[in-house]
Amino acid sequence: MIRFDDVSVTYRGGVQALRGLDLTIEDGEFVVIVGLSGAGKSTLLRALNGLVPATGGSITVDGAEVVGASATELRALRSQIGMIFQTFNLVNRTSVLNNVLMGRLGSVPAWRSTLGLWPADDRERAMQALERVGIVEKAYVRASNLSGGQQQRVGIARALVQEPSVMLADEPVASLDPVTSRQVMGDLRRINRDLGITTIVNLHYLDLAREFGNRLIGLRDGELVFDGDIADVDDDTFMEIYGRAISDDDLVGTEDDLT
Amino acid sequence: MTATQSPPTESRPTPPTGVKRRRALIAITLIVGAAWSVTGIDVTLERLLEAPGDAWDIFKRLWPPAMDEALNRGVIGKVFESVYIAWVGTIIGAVLSLPLAFLAATNVAPRWIRIPVRQLFNAIRAVPELIVAVIFIPITGLGPWAGTLAIGLHSVGTLGKWATEAIEGVDTGPLEAVEATGGRWVSGMRWGVLPQIMPIVASFWLFRFEINVRASAVLGMIGAGGVGAELVSQLIFRNFPAVGAVLGITVLVVLTIDTMSAAMRRRIIAGAARTSGPDLDADRNAEALANLTGFRR
Amino acid sequence: MSDGETARPVRPRPRLRTLGIAAGLLAFTVFAANEVGFDASTSWEMWSNPLWEKFWPIPWDWVLDRSNVLDPLVETFQIAILATIIGCGLALPISFAMSRLTAPNRPVYLVSRSVMNVVRAVPDLFWAKLLVTAVGIGAFAGTWALSVFSLAVMVKLFSETVDNADPRPLEAARASGSRYLPAVRTGVLPTVLPEYVAYALYVFELNIRASIVLGLVGAGGVGRVLEAQRQFFRFDRVLGMLIIVFVVVFVIEQVSVALRKRLV
Repeated sequence: MIRFDDVSVTYRGGVQALRGLDLTIEDGEFVVIVGLSGAGKSTLLRALNGLVPATGGSITVDGAEVVGASATELRALRSQIGMIFQTFNLVNRTSVLNNVLMGRLGSVPAWRSTLGLWPADDRERAMQALERVGIVEKAYVRASNLSGGQQQRVGIARALVQEPSVMLADEPVASLDPVTSRQVMGDLRRINRDLGITTIVNLHYLDLAREFGNRLIGLRDGELVFDGDIADVDDDTFMEIYGRAISDDDLVGTEDDLT
Repeated sequence: MTATQSPPTESRPTPPTGVKRRRALIAITLIVGAAWSVTGIDVTLERLLEAPGDAWDIFKRLWPPAMDEALNRGVIGKVFESVYIAWVGTIIGAVLSLPLAFLAATNVAPRWIRIPVRQLFNAIRAVPELIVAVIFIPITGLGPWAGTLAIGLHSVGTLGKWATEAIEGVDTGPLEAVEATGGRWVSGMRWGVLPQIMPIVASFWLFRFEINVRASAVLGMIGAGGVGAELVSQLIFRNFPAVGAVLGITVLVVLTIDTMSAAMRRRIIAGAARTSGPDLDADRNAEALANLTGFRR
Repeated sequence: MSDGETARPVRPRPRLRTLGIAAGLLAFTVFAANEVGFDASTSWEMWSNPLWEKFWPIPWDWVLDRSNVLDPLVETFQIAILATIIGCGLALPISFAMSRLTAPNRPVYLVSRSVMNVVRAVPDLFWAKLLVTAVGIGAFAGTWALSVFSLAVMVKLFSETVDNADPRPLEAARASGSRYLPAVRTGVLPTVLPEYVAYALYVFELNIRASIVLGLVGAGGVGRVLEAQRQFFRFDRVLGMLIIVFVVVFVIEQVSVALRKRLV
């Protein structure tokens, strides 16, 4: 279970990205977070795994406190939390398999991973993760030779191989076209259902949120302004979250819109 | 509108005086500097006029080079010795500088270790190989090992600085990914940074090797191994055809190494460009040049 | 998503060529290390060598005596200044001659490129030693040698700039019927001038350092004193000199770097 208790994050320049956030997420939920750029979506995710230190309040993941945790504690925590990024963050010059194996960096001793001597079970885990996202045939291909959608699936495999209890996705489809976006969101949804991994996804696009989300969280200026069922979202709610009416930019659209 | 109608009385702009004044200042500084320098050096008009003639005289006597004599004396072997010194020296410099560079980069190392390491690089760079050799020779004795150590040590400074700048230019995305999986700092360096910088770092190593071949030839002149000693002894005996031979062979070997190294460097950078994006070639060359001179537009 | 099981790919074997190159380099390294007498163990002996004591204490009275260190240092700077002016001065027309963009005609282009390649292939101090033999020991030879070195470095740096310069002003000048020299002067020179000056300052920095070592081959300046003291085994004086020299060089370089920043 994930719990945010009056969490605030103020960056060094004085910018307050999160204010007094209270949020509880049960195991196995699929949560979508929406809001304008700068509303605090990224900060929320990164505060969860400690990439960005929270300046106030408490965050607990399965009982472990994130705020103020030591470096060792953070590393242990992070190995249980998988993260995928908008820009994929793959190592371009190496193979897909090596990229996925990087997910095991939290558990493999540093000297082994540095020399590339991954244990056999980890290799097996990596292959299985690739099979689960459907690109195992690309295992030895250089990461940069893949399409955007394929690269993001490598990212998902990398997170999966950690055997995490939580999956964080920071705008995972923002760089992808509508068709691929739906494929990736579908993969995330399927993994959440099949493996029961708590999944939190930041999304830019309202239609995708409606298609794939259960629970919707709206952030505005660092504050939680909506927390409820996706079915309850209407144009007024939207106005509350975004401060304006829906525009085309907020929809990823369909294939036909791609002209 | 007729062309003869003059525009309303608006004063014409005057050329900025700053530019002219600055140019004059620079010109004066140069002239004064040159004049002062000339007085300090033992120059008379007579010497000045004679010098080109004297130099040409010597140059003429370099040709034809006494190649067979040189072969007998094993000059080729000596030139290769210089190459070996440069090679091993560059490797020593590379191996020592890369780990240190990680400790000196602003984006990955904390201040308290970053600053001493950067200063270390600067201090090492400031000492020319020849001086390092001068200090080492009394300890290690004459011979190629002193030269290798001198080159190796000096290279740590330049290679370290270049590697640091390469590290500071990386995309931090993969680094963040490593952090997010719970990896340690070392893993971040190994997987997040190293793959990105390897092409440019390898090309720096090759470039440094080219420079070091010349440096090792020079080191021979004070007895640190290589072909320099040959040059000096032939000059002392005023055996100019032999000098010509030494020069010729050295130039040939240096040019060959330069060409091979340049080709390898181009292939390495082109290989990296294939994965990273368009027009990386020009960018990387400009980057490398900027790293070399510290001059950035 | 695939329906059935996709077969797992086999791990590709490393290409024979890459393996061959790696093995070759390794073999060469081992061979070269052997040739140069690589001996990590002697490094330990090195540190306990009693000769180190000869470096200490530093005789400051001797070092700070004007005629011993400071005057030769002044001479070193004078060499550096003149060599930079001469070398960079000559580098300007030569760079233009050997650049595809501004070369007046093909023979000039080819000849200047070949000559410069050979000049650059000769190690700098070889030039110095040659010139010392030709015109005699002292700063005179040093200045000439360093000028050649400056020319070589400057040409390498600057000709790349000229090659990459915007060709359009030159085209325009040529198109309006201008002759070669005025065309280059108005069409290319203004664009490349800032870089020229910045490179010249960089070459000056290099020359300060180089002129120190020039003296080691008899070409004047502080290096001559260094070599003399070294041959008398007066390492304490050597160390003292080096400290003074590097402090001064450091100061000059900071000034030069600051100047270069203001240019760009």
